[in-house]
Amino acid sequence: MTGFIIRRLGQAIVVVLGVTLITFILLHLLPGSLARDILGNRATPQAIEQFNQQNHLNQPFFVQYWYFLDQLLHGNLGYSYQFNRSVDSLLKTDLPRDLVLGGLSLIFSLVIAIPTGIAQAVKRNSAVDYAGTGVSFLLYSMPQYAIALLLIQFLSISFHVFPAEAPQSTSAIGMLEHPAGLVLPVLSLTLVTYAAFSRYMRSSAIDTLAQDYIRTARAKGLPERLVLMRHLLRNSLVAVVTLVGLSIPLVLTGTLIIEQVFNYPGAGLEYFQAALRNDYEVMLGITVLVGVITVVGNLMADIGYAILDPRIRY
Amino acid sequence: MTDIDTTAPSEVELLPPPEGGEVASSGSPWVLVARTFAQNKLALVGLAFVLLVILFSFIGPIIYKTDQINPNLIAVNLGPGGGHPLGTDSSGFDILGRLMKGGQSSIEVGIAVGIVSTVAGLIYGAIAGYFGGALDGVLMRLVDVGLAIPIVFLFIFMAQIYKPSLGLLIFLLTLVSWLIPARLVRGETLALRTREYVQAVQVMGGRSWRIITRHIIPNTIGVIMVTVTFQIANAILTLAVLQYLGFGLPPTTPTWGSMLSDGTTYLQDGYWWEVYPALIMIVITVVAFNFIGDALQDAFDVRLQER
Amino acid sequence: MQRFKRSTLAIIGVALVVLFAAACGSSSSSNSSSSNSSSSSSSSSAGLATSGPGLTQPTTGSGSKVSGGTVYFTEGSDAPPNYIFPMYNFQVCSTTNANQLMNMLYYPLYTYGENYRPTVDYSHSIGQAPVTSNGGKTFTIHLNPYKWSDGETVSARDLVFWMNVMKASPATEWCGYAPGYFPDNVVSYSAPNPSTFVITFNKAYDPEWVLYSELSQIFPMPMAWDRTSLSQPAPTSDNGSLPDTTKSGAAAVYKFLDTQSKDLGSWATSPLWSVVDGPMKLQSFNTDGRVVLVPNADWSGTPKVSISQLVELPYTSEAAIYNTVKSSGPAGATIANIPSQYAPQLSSLGAEGYQVNKAASYSFNYFPVNLNSNATTSPGGEPVRYVFRQTYFRNALQHLVDQQGWIHAFLYNTAVPTCGPIPFSPPSPLVDTSSISFSPCSFSDATAQQLLTSHGWKVVPNGTTTCQNPSLCGAGIKQGEGISFNIDYQSGVVAVQDEMNDLASNAKKVGITINLTTHPFSTVVATGAPCMPSAASCKWTAENWGAGWIYGPSYLPTGEPLYNPGSAANAGSYSDAQMTSLIGQTITGPLSGESAALTTYAKYVSQQDPVIFGPTSVGTYGGYAATLISNKLAGYSANALGFLQPQYWYFTK
Repeated sequence: MTGFIIRRLGQAIVVVLGVTLITFILLHLLPGSLARDILGNRATPQAIEQFNQQNHLNQPFFVQYWYFLDQLLHGNLGYSYQFNRSVDSLLKTDLPRDLVLGGLSLIFSLVIAIPTGIAQAVKRNSAVDYAGTGVSFLLYSMPQYAIALLLIQFLSISFHVFPAEAPQSTSAIGMLEHPAGLVLPVLSLTLVTYAAFSRYMRSSAIDTLAQDYIRTARAKGLPERLVLMRHLLRNSLVAVVTLVGLSIPLVLTGTLIIEQVFNYPGAGLEYFQAALRNDYEVMLGITVLVGVITVVGNLMADIGYAILDPRIRY
Repeated sequence: MTDIDTTAPSEVELLPPPEGGEVASSGSPWVLVARTFAQNKLALVGLAFVLLVILFSFIGPIIYKTDQINPNLIAVNLGPGGGHPLGTDSSGFDILGRLMKGGQSSIEVGIAVGIVSTVAGLIYGAIAGYFGGALDGVLMRLVDVGLAIPIVFLFIFMAQIYKPSLGLLIFLLTLVSWLIPARLVRGETLALRTREYVQAVQVMGGRSWRIITRHIIPNTIGVIMVTVTFQIANAILTLAVLQYLGFGLPPTTPTWGSMLSDGTTYLQDGYWWEVYPALIMIVITVVAFNFIGDALQDAFDVRLQER
Repeated sequence: MQRFKRSTLAIIGVALVVLFAAACGSSSSSNSSSSNSSSSSSSSSAGLATSGPGLTQPTTGSGSKVSGGTVYFTEGSDAPPNYIFPMYNFQVCSTTNANQLMNMLYYPLYTYGENYRPTVDYSHSIGQAPVTSNGGKTFTIHLNPYKWSDGETVSARDLVFWMNVMKASPATEWCGYAPGYFPDNVVSYSAPNPSTFVITFNKAYDPEWVLYSELSQIFPMPMAWDRTSLSQPAPTSDNGSLPDTTKSGAAAVYKFLDTQSKDLGSWATSPLWSVVDGPMKLQSFNTDGRVVLVPNADWSGTPKVSISQLVELPYTSEAAIYNTVKSSGPAGATIANIPSQYAPQLSSLGAEGYQVNKAASYSFNYFPVNLNSNATTSPGGEPVRYVFRQTYFRNALQHLVDQQGWIHAFLYNTAVPTCGPIPFSPPSPLVDTSSISFSPCSFSDATAQQLLTSHGWKVVPNGTTTCQNPSLCGAGIKQGEGISFNIDYQSGVVAVQDEMNDLASNAKKVGITINLTTHPFSTVVATGAPCMPSAASCKWTAENWGAGWIYGPSYLPTGEPLYNPGSAANAGSYSDAQMTSLIGQTITGPLSGESAALTTYAKYVSQQDPVIFGPTSVGTYGGYAATLISNKLAGYSANALGFLQPQYWYFTK
């Protein structure tokens, strides 16, 4: 197992490098001058030249990439022109807030989806199953922003139950201190995530319930509750573990829409705005971060597989 | 945990216990699939909806002709009624007619992306999962890299270089969509290759390719089918989201997503007809595909088929 | 400076200003005060002032004066302040920074735009009316008594300090920079005594132009800033050898102040930025863009500040702005800038306790066509720039723009028709716009068609119009050539999309094919840059970023940055000797002829259509419909150039 982890760590580093390289390449393939994008197309030639000098833009590609890597290794993720701050400082404030939003939604989704998915699988084709299916399908089939806007329309504008804007605190703790403002964003994100999770949970549980060892356990007279918890839950979790592993990077970039609709100050929106303004250092910095987190997420998913299913060995 | 009836037999056991004596002929496997499928009411509803939507989008404009090219400035934002059953949008286009035209693009994109991405991911994931080891490592790292690059970024990049067209969007959506099926199939394959029947074939000297195509892939069909439908649904939804974020096609190529996102700009002004019809079309279509996928999954599960 | 729609306010805006004295004045809140009219009554025909309370007279509030209170102001979507040092460069040249932050802290030499007039206000300025001498080349300015918050008097030495630093490297430091103009055209400057500043230019310019477009670019800076690191003590008096007295020292001072200004987290506690001479000072700044300003107790100007806090709220989307206003009303948003898609809601929002104010800032909307483009037209495959270079073609294209239709259908009557670079609203006593006609911009398929046919084109409605008589079509246009080109517009704004779609549809009716593409804002702006036909990248034909040009920090609507060849804001590389001469007349002509010179210039622009004009929105930012002012806020009046002036506001019961 330790050998496996070490190997995977090595692979992780390779992946991160690959991500930075591809992102870097794509950004430098963009037509037009980066200096023009940042400084505006009224900038004087001198200003553009100065910008190019400062950012090594006149150097060959791999030299620039080397500067970037060197910067990264010193913990410097770059500098944002739009916000006039280092990318680090941007992320330091954004990430914890994203974790609040993404983390809460992930937890709620799992807590609701796992039991309901299993219940639907066990009581297959019953009224409960159909109702559950109907609800998840409906939620899953709506664009995220539509759900968010509908929630705002009904719970905030028509009936002033919750505020339409997320709390604007600079820290994660600060966000949590205003739970009323968190309800709608978290609810929107949870509804969509729950729908997907419960579908997969259900289909995975159905697969497992059809296995012979379940029938055997039942035939041996094991109480249904134990059958479900000891056998079904563990084996069905493979799909869920995959989803969680994949969802972790989405905590950063997938909350983009929610952040925009609710004015939630997070990294997903930061990234999008940076992309629109070709604030490329922010894009690079966040992409590198997402790369690292994805790899970590997948690693955890793989370890999770191994724990859950003793037959899986590497 | 919900209360489970611990005395009644599990509902999963649909098969009567085998009786001694003759074994009835069961027909070809596909007939069984079709029969099981047909027994699922929701699936039939889904199928019906998909067919209706396709008819609506492709045949509809032949019957109900509207001008979707030239704006009509004196007829903007009209509510339903008086010649426009679903009202008009901010450029004066008839919404019902635009739904039809939009349906064409949305469905084309959805189906193209859904199928191609799943097939690609399926093959990729099965190979990675079956062979394992270094090959799996490399292949999955590539998937990781792909998943790590945010979709938004890729789209912005592409949109700045190339003229956004439906073809380009299909290509890009496929490019980002095949990764998830690949990962899921690989996960399933990892579990499957340790199953007894796979090991049995290996002992008997079966070739890897044969094992993959004859034993591994068919047993992942359940996951695949669900995946395809979710992929189609995702593609239609992602297209809608992308247009909300501003990566749009020119207004001469409407899609439900663009109608929805443009409409939400004016939602607060009470122009609900610019929002909900497109939303309902998206939801109906996506839900229908999901019903179908779900039922297909059940139908492919051998233990559930009635012989 | 270039005006941007909504979120595009920041950054890009700066570039435009550079050219001549138009440093970004940032037009933030342009609230026109007029009576409490409903939303549908905006200006109906060309040139009328827009409506709402606080237009030319301050609002009166709802009762007797109450001192104190917090004003909440909604910033534009995606446009938080990101710079505080008044010598802003290209990157940070924006409305938000200049009008909604800097001008309230660091008072400029002259203040402009009060009561919805784009004119100078000597009674509230640091500088008195300048006196000319030396054949019109030298300006002597006496200063009114103002003090910095650290006790130092605002003196002419502070102005010399600004000039020293600016002169060190303006091309990379100052958004308002244009080669040949300020500060290149400044020959000398000095402070013969603490309350007199003398500046000499290289020739005798029209003094009105100097006042509005050159002197407007000067801010006094406190001695406390004249150092190159925080560890140096802040100078308290001029010993004659402060760093700014040498060129390298001045450059070092700039670098220091620039670096400090970029450290957003340090603003609130910085010993530099706390030295203010304006009505407000910074209490706190949250890196998301939430600004809290409080009155400067040492403010020497008038009136004294009555409110106790000005809080600027940042937003990441327009929907969020609307939602806040809708759900919390005047208690949560005292002054709210409403994006134009919510214009139908204005009266219902007003019912929550607001007055609706529609004031165009001193700006105009347009998009450039590239007269140097090497994109080819079809049929024919010839460069389409030869068609663009024909004035009659641009006129025809302008006649296909249905401004009234767009204002009514897409903009909910929250924009004014525009036919030239001199806005009719807000009205200016400096230029007589009554004789400027809107007819060159009238919507008429027939006129467009007639223009084409009379110049040798065979017009095929809904088909392909081709040139049949090349000698009439124009130089470089070949027999059988058609007219087809691309318009690339900003994505994400439905109104712009609808407008361009309509234009393409109208063009089709006279056989012109317009292909539409859409890209994110910064790409559109970056693409629309002046280029030479020999450059491969000079392929763009028309770029529409959804807004236009806002005057600032040059406030006289002369056209040097826009239509002179070689100017950075002349995206389409338009070049015409007559235009250059008329513009020159507005800059160097006599004062007595200034108004006439401006009118002549404006008329010529309408006839030439160097760019294609479109409706100009009547909100604070491009694409914003109106500004809502709480009924309880009195003393508010629209500043024609977008400055926030909280010293005039007060709450009422």
